[in-house]
Amino acid sequence: MPTVTMTVNGKQVSGEVEPRTLLVEFLREGLGLTGTHVGCDTSQCGCCVVHVDGRSVKACTMLAVQAEGAEVTTIEGLAADGSLHPLQQAFHENHGLQCGFCTPGMIMSSLELLQRNPDPSEAEVREWLEGNLCRCTGYHNIVKSVLAAAAAMRGAARAAE
Amino acid sequence: MHIYERPRDLETALALLAEGDWQVMAGGTDIYPARVDRPLERPLLDITAIEALHGIEETGEGYRLGACLRWSELRDRPLPPIFDGLRKAAATIGGRQIQNRATLGGNLCNASPAADGIPVLMALEAVVELRSLRGVRRIPLVDFVRGNRCTALAPDELLTAVLLPRPRGRSRTTFLKLGSRAHLVISITMIALALDCDPAGRILRAGVAVGACAPTARRLPLLESRLLGRDLAEPLATAVDTAVLAPLAPIDDIRGTAAYRRRATLVLLRRGLAELATPLRGAA
Repeated sequence: MPTVTMTVNGKQVSGEVEPRTLLVEFLREGLGLTGTHVGCDTSQCGCCVVHVDGRSVKACTMLAVQAEGAEVTTIEGLAADGSLHPLQQAFHENHGLQCGFCTPGMIMSSLELLQRNPDPSEAEVREWLEGNLCRCTGYHNIVKSVLAAAAAMRGAARAAE
Repeated sequence: MHIYERPRDLETALALLAEGDWQVMAGGTDIYPARVDRPLERPLLDITAIEALHGIEETGEGYRLGACLRWSELRDRPLPPIFDGLRKAAATIGGRQIQNRATLGGNLCNASPAADGIPVLMALEAVVELRSLRGVRRIPLVDFVRGNRCTALAPDELLTAVLLPRPRGRSRTTFLKLGSRAHLVISITMIALALDCDPAGRILRAGVAVGACAPTARRLPLLESRLLGRDLAEPLATAVDTAVLAPLAPIDDIRGTAAYRRRATLVLLRRGLAELATPLRGAA
């Protein structure tokens, strides 16, 4: 079996995988990182979104071998030094989840939006999240959470200047 | 045991293709979802590590788009107006995460009748570059896509680039799609317009193509000829009637009836023409 090596949440990892192994299977079953969820298995729901080389992708639509040499970030890689990432904090404070199944994907998807556009409009947030489905239909608070996180991250950036 | 290769140079990829039966993959966004519950049968040849297949380049004849160009790159890069329609199409290909993986070449080789990337490129008279160890050939996209998931690609060939001819004047392009909702849907119908105009707004070349209304996207030559020589400021929508839809062969399916597809196509064509006329009105 081929060996795949990649950096996951800052740590270099290797594993033997069959080429047909999906990235999400490697993360969940190979590395035990079960924060990345599998909702639909057909690249529609967005529960499995992770970042690969700084871009959000659906980990059920990519083979683990395709991530050879890549930098992968999962939901487990966001909190630093025991404190939640501003997106995680905002989802907590604004009740941005009901059952919570879609939440890791919502956060990882929103993260790329905020990295590109620190001050998105509500419409831009909704459009960006087109590939993330919430089975509880809790979209209003999800959007509210992303906007709150954006404001918090802008505040933190200003404070750092 | 399944085989996967990811060569770094084109020659290696072409040599592998010449020897065996490979499933070529780029973004891979349609390979796995299309075969849930069925194993991958053919060895995989991943072409995304080949540098020569990436990027957009301006050439003497026009533009050269690498086969592995990702749809999100088309959305995010600053590009001239000839790319406006392609950029709009890129925004409708799945969500952001799919656009971050899926490629231009993959959309063409997949050859779905509802491929959102194909009508705009047909309206722009795009040419595809096919390479094998035997050599290079360049054929119009309209001849490359032969039917539902059927292309002119030989088993040992790789689609390496899409070539867009330089516009004959100021280029105005657009793309409109009808789905059952705004996002993440398979098109019921879609239209693409590419007009080259002289500085006064007179149409020197017209490309019109419709997708999801026949086994392949089709151009509408009657409408194209009616638009030639007309002024962008004229009410161009009057050029659109049922006669121009003759090349189409829409079907009744889960997403809509053939009659609905025809009516919706007429509406989208008129809307698209109105959209292209607007910016020139009132302009100096």
